[in-house]
Amino acid sequence: MVASPSSPAAKATSPLVLLVEDEPPMRRFLESTLADHGFRVIVAEDGQRALSLAATHNPDLVVLDLGLPDLGGIEVTTRLREWSQAPILVVSARDQQADKVAALDAGANDFVTKPFAVGELMARLRVWVRQASRVDAAGAPVRCIGDLRFDFARRLVFLGDDELRLTRTEYRLLALFVANAGKVLSHRQILESIWGPRHTEDAQYVRVYMGHLRRKIEKDPARPRYLVTEAGIGYRLRTE
Amino acid sequence: VRRPPTVTGVLAALVVVAVESAIAWFFLGSERTTDVVMLYLLGVVIVAMRFGHVPSLLAALLGTASFDFFFTTPYFSFAIDNAHSVFTCAILLFVAFVISNLTERNRRHALEASRAEIEVGHERLRNALLSSVSHDLRTPLAVVKGAATALLEGGDDLPAARRREYLTTISDEASRLNRLVRNLLDMTTLEAGTLRLRKELQSIEEVIGVALDRLEDRLAGRPVHLKVPPDLALVPMDATLIEQVLVNLLENATKHTPSGTAITVAARAASSGVEVEVADDGPGVPEGEEERVFDKFHRASLAAGIGLGLTICRGIVTAHGGAIRCANRPGGGASFAFTLPGGEPGSVRVLPEVDLSEADYESALNR
Repeated sequence: MVASPSSPAAKATSPLVLLVEDEPPMRRFLESTLADHGFRVIVAEDGQRALSLAATHNPDLVVLDLGLPDLGGIEVTTRLREWSQAPILVVSARDQQADKVAALDAGANDFVTKPFAVGELMARLRVWVRQASRVDAAGAPVRCIGDLRFDFARRLVFLGDDELRLTRTEYRLLALFVANAGKVLSHRQILESIWGPRHTEDAQYVRVYMGHLRRKIEKDPARPRYLVTEAGIGYRLRTE
Repeated sequence: VRRPPTVTGVLAALVVVAVESAIAWFFLGSERTTDVVMLYLLGVVIVAMRFGHVPSLLAALLGTASFDFFFTTPYFSFAIDNAHSVFTCAILLFVAFVISNLTERNRRHALEASRAEIEVGHERLRNALLSSVSHDLRTPLAVVKGAATALLEGGDDLPAARRREYLTTISDEASRLNRLVRNLLDMTTLEAGTLRLRKELQSIEEVIGVALDRLEDRLAGRPVHLKVPPDLALVPMDATLIEQVLVNLLENATKHTPSGTAITVAARAASSGVEVEVADDGPGVPEGEEERVFDKFHRASLAAGIGLGLTICRGIVTAHGGAIRCANRPGGGASFAFTLPGGEPGSVRVLPEVDLSEADYESALNR
């Protein structure tokens, strides 16, 4: 099932993806597509197998279908997160909104909804490969995303050449997104990080502040370029 | 067509016969036996028509018995002392039975006919639904199958442009199929009454943004004007469902207007809550169709789709306690607007600025 041995030398050349999918046609399709896009692929058809493959091969990325026959995708995410930091991209159907949120809360990084375009899936995977390859970037004093420039040391944010006037909360909210650039943050994760664990059900806090923030950084707040709404789930700072 | 229960019928038969006897006694008398007989027969007809077979048979029996008791000699006795009266009683009973049976048969026929009519109606609707659904599902499937086999068989001999055309077709038709299945599922949920709203205070601006994002491809080449006031209050809604309403309205606009036609999405505060409008500069809705466009399986043309999109919109908006309407704009073009009622005043709290310590904050970021 392993496309090529996961020797350290091979690992340096192309990322190893663990693909967890129980539907054979989807599995075959994704396996070929991932291979065509330069990934090495190992395949698991259920959750147990996924966990044991992950333990033996230590993949760089995990593509995980939520509707597995044995362990649920959420359980797999939780158990993987006990020891692995590999980005987990969840694949799910439209009507699994609650499961998606649960998977994100359990530590998944991103999701795509079936049916999806291959280009979209690959773009997401590339973001995570890049992200993983520069772990130290998160600690850098200055970070640029599009026209946004964050100077963490001086606590300043610039849009183009203009310094943005942000309230304390707005700055913290934005900083949280920058620290998790590209990752979908659930309402609960945002609330817990900014307002504390007692406010995890008050998603309207986030909505109002996101509105404020967008008015300051987006050209068209209703069609955000940076702070994207993931309907019913949360938000993401788009890096691409 | 529905008949009252037999107990009521039996009581009615008793009352009718009692009243008839009284009328006959006080107004007709034992001299006018023919009229008395007629009166009892009339009672049978009334009971049969109104209360059914068993009560009318009872009315026939009771009527005959009463006639015998009150109006044949010897009076106030069931005994009969002359052949003429025996004959009258027998005829009365016989005719009463016949009337009762005939009326019953008539009733049953009428009932069966109306049932059959309903059945035919249902059957016709079911057939229309099936044929429309299977046509709508099969068309994209057939196109996908056709294009895929053409690609397989043509192989490398196909010019690149043709290959690309087939592939685009496959992708587009698959998306169409996906939309159809989604609409059918939404409709099923709405009809089954199993739709559960997960209402939260939401920003309509955000929901509009998500809907526009989802339709990015289909809206390509169209100017989309957004009019959302920045201070619009949050409104309780199920964001996923309202997003679907907006997607359906926008799709509807793209279907019924030439490509390149501008679409306007506007939100404004309404007397309670918000009103959201999707308007276009297209040809508009035919005069008098403004209500019918929301009907199930109503479609402007065969190519327009399955005719569920707007029905689903109405279902979702109604479930939210709002209303949706369609109108033509004064300057031309169609406008679809829906309202969503607001929450109780004060339900949107002013948000606290965070006041965590730096240490809390750093640890939050490094989670």
